[in-house]
Amino acid sequence: MTACTAKASCKKLPGLLELTDTHLQWTQDGKKAPSVRIAHSEAASLFCSKEGAPQTRLKIGLVGDDNGHNFTFSSPQPVAVAEREKFKKELTTIISRNRGAQDALPKPPLPVAAARSLSVTAVPTPGTSTPRPTATPLQASHSRASSVVDDRRPTPVITGTDPATEFRLRKKVLMANPELGTLHRDLVMSGQITEADFWDGREHLILAQLASEGQKKGKPGQLVDPRPETVEGGEIKIRITPQLVHDIFDEYPIVATAYSENVPNKLSEEQFWKRYFQSKLFNAHRASIRSSAAQHVVKEDPIFDKYLEKDDDELEPRRQRSEQVDVFVDLAMTFEDHGDTGNDKDITMQAGRQKAALPLIRKFNEHSERLLNSALGDLPPSKRQRTDEGEGSYTQIDLDDLHDPEASDGIILEMQDRQRYFNAVMSKEAEAVKQHDPAVVLADTKSKLQSTESKLTQLKIERKAGDAALIAMTTNVANRLDGKSRKNDIPDGLFRQMTTCQTAANEFLRQFWLAMYPPPSELQTVATATKAQRLAKQAKMIGYIAKTPEKVHALIQAAQQHGIDAIRVQNALKPILEASERALTVYRNKKPGQ
Amino acid sequence: MDNSSHLSVVLDLSPAQWYQSPLSLDSFLAQLLVFLNAHIALKHDNSLAVFGALPDKSVMLYASSEPPMDTPATSDPNCYPPFKRLDSAVTARISEQLEDPLLDVTTPSAIVGALTKALCYINRLSVATGLVDPRILILSVSPDLSNAYIPIMNSIFSAQKLKVTIDAGQIYGPDTVFLQQAAHLTGGSYLHLTETSALLQYLIMTFLPPPSIRKVIAVPTQDKIDFRAACFCHKNIVDIGFVCSVCLSIFCQPTPVCSTCRTKFPIKTLQRLNASRPLTISSANNSARPTPVSTPRSAATAARHPPMSAESIQNGSGTSAVANGSGH
Repeated sequence: MTACTAKASCKKLPGLLELTDTHLQWTQDGKKAPSVRIAHSEAASLFCSKEGAPQTRLKIGLVGDDNGHNFTFSSPQPVAVAEREKFKKELTTIISRNRGAQDALPKPPLPVAAARSLSVTAVPTPGTSTPRPTATPLQASHSRASSVVDDRRPTPVITGTDPATEFRLRKKVLMANPELGTLHRDLVMSGQITEADFWDGREHLILAQLASEGQKKGKPGQLVDPRPETVEGGEIKIRITPQLVHDIFDEYPIVATAYSENVPNKLSEEQFWKRYFQSKLFNAHRASIRSSAAQHVVKEDPIFDKYLEKDDDELEPRRQRSEQVDVFVDLAMTFEDHGDTGNDKDITMQAGRQKAALPLIRKFNEHSERLLNSALGDLPPSKRQRTDEGEGSYTQIDLDDLHDPEASDGIILEMQDRQRYFNAVMSKEAEAVKQHDPAVVLADTKSKLQSTESKLTQLKIERKAGDAALIAMTTNVANRLDGKSRKNDIPDGLFRQMTTCQTAANEFLRQFWLAMYPPPSELQTVATATKAQRLAKQAKMIGYIAKTPEKVHALIQAAQQHGIDAIRVQNALKPILEASERALTVYRNKKPGQ
Repeated sequence: MDNSSHLSVVLDLSPAQWYQSPLSLDSFLAQLLVFLNAHIALKHDNSLAVFGALPDKSVMLYASSEPPMDTPATSDPNCYPPFKRLDSAVTARISEQLEDPLLDVTTPSAIVGALTKALCYINRLSVATGLVDPRILILSVSPDLSNAYIPIMNSIFSAQKLKVTIDAGQIYGPDTVFLQQAAHLTGGSYLHLTETSALLQYLIMTFLPPPSIRKVIAVPTQDKIDFRAACFCHKNIVDIGFVCSVCLSIFCQPTPVCSTCRTKFPIKTLQRLNASRPLTISSANNSARPTPVSTPRSAATAARHPPMSAESIQNGSGTSAVANGSGH
């Protein structure tokens, strides 16, 4: 590894920046010893100012101190840039080596957000009036790499694809689920939980997102009807995309024939579309029968008018349905039987109040049929409905509803050792019963029975006992109903704080217990943590969990200050307090090294 | 509501328990008879059946569909005859049963048997004449029998199928886990009576309204329900256990083969489950730790909860009644 030197200033003082085999150091001009000395292993991240910025700067972030040191190369511009590039190359190698070595050592997690947010906002270039430069592609890839790899454990790629897809999927999942997004922002961005830990156990979300993206969407069901947008100046604008062209040809084969005949011989493509959208042919293809305000725009067009067809409002549609009608549904089969006795054909009954409605209806029908054909594929129509050929054709009319309901026998559970299942091991219970003399008990019971009748005739309920019972029951009912109907009058801010406290504590507890229990060995999609890592994670999570009671108390006090019933807040947060208590107890009592 | 309703009462007549109870048996029976009279007085076609649970035995004491033919010895002019018939029938049958020389007062009473008989009776009448809105009221003075867990759960499921509401009142003795679950799962109400001398107040206010009216009259019920179950191998009550994913039987420790459905579990899972077991805090009850769900044919976390997030179970907040109930 070569040593690089360059003139650079740090904190506005001129000096010399050197990169040796073991250290990066900067000595102020005139001083003997370097004032900034960074060991290779401490370099954590690297940022550069944009190309072409007046000052060539380089920033090194350290492990544990993200601000690190800023160096401004003071040589004249091209030299400075070249020097900077050299430093950058060397330091990048060093930093990536550092990251690789970091896997084995549990270190305090580096704030991922700091790196990421710094990459998005510019490296400060003082004194420039130009708008703050956004990250250059090189810088972005640096910081992206740093943010992805910047964990204690490299964030595993769950979906098996490249990290960029992974990142995109994660972002989609977080955006789709706002609560999860808030949790992620609070905990991962502030560095309390690493990215890997957060997604540990939530892989199914990412996989689901990947699966849903992989699904192909079918053809849209709407009739192809490009609507012209009016721009100022009275012009009408229609965007013509290749997809739109394809759809139009699909929907209206006439346009396709027109296109093939006229382009490029008689009309250019642009002219073709321009004249098409102004022709009567296009007007006839519209999906609405409201008289278009653009009537006046429709001109006669010698070419397109050739393809105009008569409106489709005869008795029969222009395109007859070609498929075979099912035997059981075919009315025409028995038509001759009803000639004398049945009704006349009603030819006056036509769909649509307006004259133009019928062609439109037929157009919709043709469109739906085309859609179905494309979705179902090329099966012959007769085979589409029946998936299994029953014997004869009577299976078609043999409906389930026509049969009487029969109770099913069910599947018999084969039980081993029925006697043990039903009988007891109840030696403990017998001892629990206090041993009174059976004879005495029996005699007492019998005598009591005799006196029942007299008790019945003299029955009187003590007033106080009755009232107490009544009040107890009424409060019981009142509490239950009150709880349902009382609206939540905790102010929004406090409520949100309570929710965040609870979700954060839940997440810490989840991580803690994941680290405590042996991992499910079959479901390994993420990298397994080693024993030392798990112990470290347990300790870290316990640290966070131990702070939860304080937070809860703080919230209760805040509630009291606002004048809200502190008891309600306390009750609401009680489960999380208990859960934290239990986790702490288990941690205190566990065997070391477990 | 114009519909009649049917009430089946299951009485816990364990002499040993009644001997210790502050409420004596005679005043209990007196108040109970008033309650039963009130029920049949409410509507003309209300039907009633009374079952008694004695040590090791359960009998039907009275059924309004088969009223006792023998007229009572003393015909009291001040008493409405149907009431009189009911009262004397019940007391006479109870004393009959107590005269039985084979009665052993030390064994616990057969509430489960009586409950099952009540369900069979309701089923028979529903098919024959069509009972509307049937409900069962269990008045118990005994503590939980852990070996009764499986039969009680089976009865609860049959009650759910028959659309029978089960109410439960605990007069003396500790809170019963299984009766709470029975009431909750069938939509009835469970009440632990504190002022036992005012038993009639409780009975009329809570258990008299039929289920159809309960949409309008809110009856008191206990919110916090203890959802613990008893393990199938030792019949201990556990709050965290291991469940076979095929037949849903509950065990307190991992076993290689499920005892009810003979499913074999993989060794690796068992080892992993055993490794996770030593994290018990309390040694009082044999509670084992839950594990995350993985492959089929392996154990999952304890079932039989109302919908609770999986996180709180994993967090070990326990299945105690407090955590469950406050959410309701």
